[in-house]
Amino acid sequence: MSEMNAPNGDRRPIFIVGVGETGPVAQDPRSIPEMVLAAVDKALADAGMGHDDIDAIVTASIDLFDGLTASNIAVTEVVGAVMKPETRIAADGLAAAIHAACELRSEAYQTVLVAAHGKASMSDFRSLTRWAMDPIHLQPLDADFLVCAGLQASAMAAADGGAQRRWAELAARRRSSAAPGGFAAALPAEAVLASPVVAAPLREAMCAPLGDGAAAVVLSVRPPAPGRRSVRLAGMGYDLEAHAIGDRELTRWEGLGRALRRACADAGITSEEAAIDLAEPSCLYPHEEELFRDACGIGGETVISPDGGLFGGTAPVVAGLSRLIAATRGLRGNARYRRALAHGAWGPAGQGQAVALLEAAD
Amino acid sequence: MNEAILVPIEMAVTWRYASGAAMERFCSGLMERRIEALRCGVCRRSYLPPRPICGNCHAPLSEWVSVADEGRLEAWTVLQVPMLDARTGDMREAPYGMGLIQLDGADTTINHYLAESDPARLSIGLRVRAVWRPEPRGAMDDIVHFEVLR
Amino acid sequence: MRRVAIIGTGQTDYASNRSDASQPELVREAAKAAIADAGLRPQQIDAMLISNMELFEGRALPELWLGEAAFAAGKPCLKVATGGTSGTSACIAGFHQVASGLFDVVLVVGLEKHSEGQTQTGMALTDPFWDRAVAAGALGNFALSISQYMAARGVTERQAAMVAVKARRNAARNPHAHLKMPALTVDEVLGSRPLAHPVRLLDMCPQSDGACAIVIAAEEPARRLCPRPAWIKASATRHEQPYIGDIDRRLVTMRTLRDAARNAYARAGIRDPLHDFDVAEIYEPVSYAELAWYEALGFCGDGEAGRLIEDGVTTMDGELPVNPSGGVLSSNPVGASGVIRVAEAALQIHGRGGERQVDGVRTALATGYGVYAWADVVVLGAQP
Repeated sequence: MSEMNAPNGDRRPIFIVGVGETGPVAQDPRSIPEMVLAAVDKALADAGMGHDDIDAIVTASIDLFDGLTASNIAVTEVVGAVMKPETRIAADGLAAAIHAACELRSEAYQTVLVAAHGKASMSDFRSLTRWAMDPIHLQPLDADFLVCAGLQASAMAAADGGAQRRWAELAARRRSSAAPGGFAAALPAEAVLASPVVAAPLREAMCAPLGDGAAAVVLSVRPPAPGRRSVRLAGMGYDLEAHAIGDRELTRWEGLGRALRRACADAGITSEEAAIDLAEPSCLYPHEEELFRDACGIGGETVISPDGGLFGGTAPVVAGLSRLIAATRGLRGNARYRRALAHGAWGPAGQGQAVALLEAAD
Repeated sequence: MNEAILVPIEMAVTWRYASGAAMERFCSGLMERRIEALRCGVCRRSYLPPRPICGNCHAPLSEWVSVADEGRLEAWTVLQVPMLDARTGDMREAPYGMGLIQLDGADTTINHYLAESDPARLSIGLRVRAVWRPEPRGAMDDIVHFEVLR
Repeated sequence: MRRVAIIGTGQTDYASNRSDASQPELVREAAKAAIADAGLRPQQIDAMLISNMELFEGRALPELWLGEAAFAAGKPCLKVATGGTSGTSACIAGFHQVASGLFDVVLVVGLEKHSEGQTQTGMALTDPFWDRAVAAGALGNFALSISQYMAARGVTERQAAMVAVKARRNAARNPHAHLKMPALTVDEVLGSRPLAHPVRLLDMCPQSDGACAIVIAAEEPARRLCPRPAWIKASATRHEQPYIGDIDRRLVTMRTLRDAARNAYARAGIRDPLHDFDVAEIYEPVSYAELAWYEALGFCGDGEAGRLIEDGVTTMDGELPVNPSGGVLSSNPVGASGVIRVAEAALQIHGRGGERQVDGVRTALATGYGVYAWADVVVLGAQP
């Protein structure tokens, strides 16, 4: 089969009409439903809508992270899914938003609410990620997501003597841009380089800290009310790489390349001609930002993570949806931006990749 | 045929769950053997367990109402096989009675143990009353079980 | 809306312990069979959806490990998990993805391997401040709801046992089924071990290992590849309030299933379900639930379900055969069970049902059920 359909002229446009989030904070004392309720209320208020305007809901959460079986049960009421269709996508929140856009394009619904939550403070999050690794070949080696990131960084640093310092400087720059909104301390590059090694060559202060957050987005085929620059979800794509990092070309995010090509094809543009004014990548480590730039072919003309991206702190599952929100706000607030890229990643060393291309529709 | 190779992995995970404001107040009430529900200002339904909003009306809940520790048995069963007790990790020995109980003043039912475990002596509509542990600790198991009032 | 059809199905054999196959091997077996049944090669699949209840195996994000077994390496692949409705919801997600035009062919694979985990522990990870105070399990919660249903509708233990007998006898004609009992009698069900009054061992579904897959295609490939595509006429999902005590008389009211059915029937042109459907594959985790679903799905009026089973209306040679596969009562790998319902309904339209084929199926119903009240309804037809 053709991997993608040719972009369809009479396809329904999809607008991002409401966004809302809470956190990220290192530890939110509220319960999961309280956090999600706060994010949903903000997104609905931003959209100027109520629950009656919502036809369906897509949630994103992971049972083991929440310590709850079918953990979307915990949020059914606060997302307004009682007696409504809800689909829970167990992956990064941007993938949930992409699925919601599929529902809209299928003409099943007019308006869909997307909500994601993650609460790393509930558990030893790093050790939980071991349970996502192949239990026969990898989990017994104590491989977890951080270990895989370290192996990926080490593969990249092997032939690159300047990597450590460059990464420290990038992390320091991002942390400093993020300081007003995040919970990671702003640090100079020297302090990043002096922080403890957590998964060689990665040092603690290079890593985006994981905390608690919830995010919600309203997608609709109806344009937002006049008076605000409207933002369209113009293209989307995602990909799942091979699981074992030994099966991959570790110094590239090939899955992201595929996800971007799919998103561009969906938007009716080639990835070469896709001029991205603003990129909001889901990068937890500085080497991932380099992988992101290489995979997307993004050069100096694109503004990347003006608010520090995830480096000021983020929450599992929420990260990609928070990037969609950041990209939407960027397009709304800056008339120079025409097109933005929101990125989500999940799994070991970026195994899962999602891309949404946003366009200001004026 | 070769024997299957099985890789045993033991799972030990700890989570710290936040109660939420409504459940926190409810649990504090249990310490004083007080049961409180949250009433929806729109549909007037009194909810146990208390929660942030009414899922039917999308209305935030803030009106606390007192609920008796007595009520009506709305559904019942007697477990005849041991079941996992998630608080202790042990199996709860059978037989034991369970019921959905509508406490006087609440509109939802609570799921709890019954002191009675003889199916012949249980029926929908019976009056039941909570039997509290001597020193409540602020959790639902401060109620040991419900006894049938005959 | 783009027309969408199911053009292939594939199933493993279901058993209490498939220690002969790993989780990826079960996924691969079902995926391969479904893709071959659709007349395709794995490279021709555009995207994959996985359905699985990860805590039953004690896993997180299991599609990361299992995706390659579903031929998903380098492809778009996501997991859908909504409790018992996971499988039907994953199928509906696949319908939406193909209808959206983003993909032309999507593979859905449901998997559960209960034997590799602790299902009771997984089930017990409910709200720690409320539900965990009571050791109830799915069994205790079903039994509570059944006590209300029996009181309201006058359904008897014998009528429920007839459902259990029908399921296991049907299963004897399904090569994949876990519990095949061609000679089971009502008295044997009534004499089986009591679990939770009034539920007995043979009233309950088993826990099974296994996987099931379907291939969903857009109109053009569907017509080219499949002599009798099973077209999606309508689907609907309804979720409910979270606590077991929130809904009075759950099996009795089941407002989610009633509303989902009403909605899907209206769009699919179903006016008299008992007459308009040629076959139904409904998600009945316990014998009594099937009787409640007859009423909620409009096969009969409220209070008439007992008569329906007594009159043989839903047996293989009745007016509306229900669960020719043997249903969830005969095979229950939870993450796959909803996919099995949809696959079996499609199989009947494909005319590939073998010994369990119902003659001349043109319209088929599949349902999903989970979290004690969540409902999915899927209507399939031989014509788009």
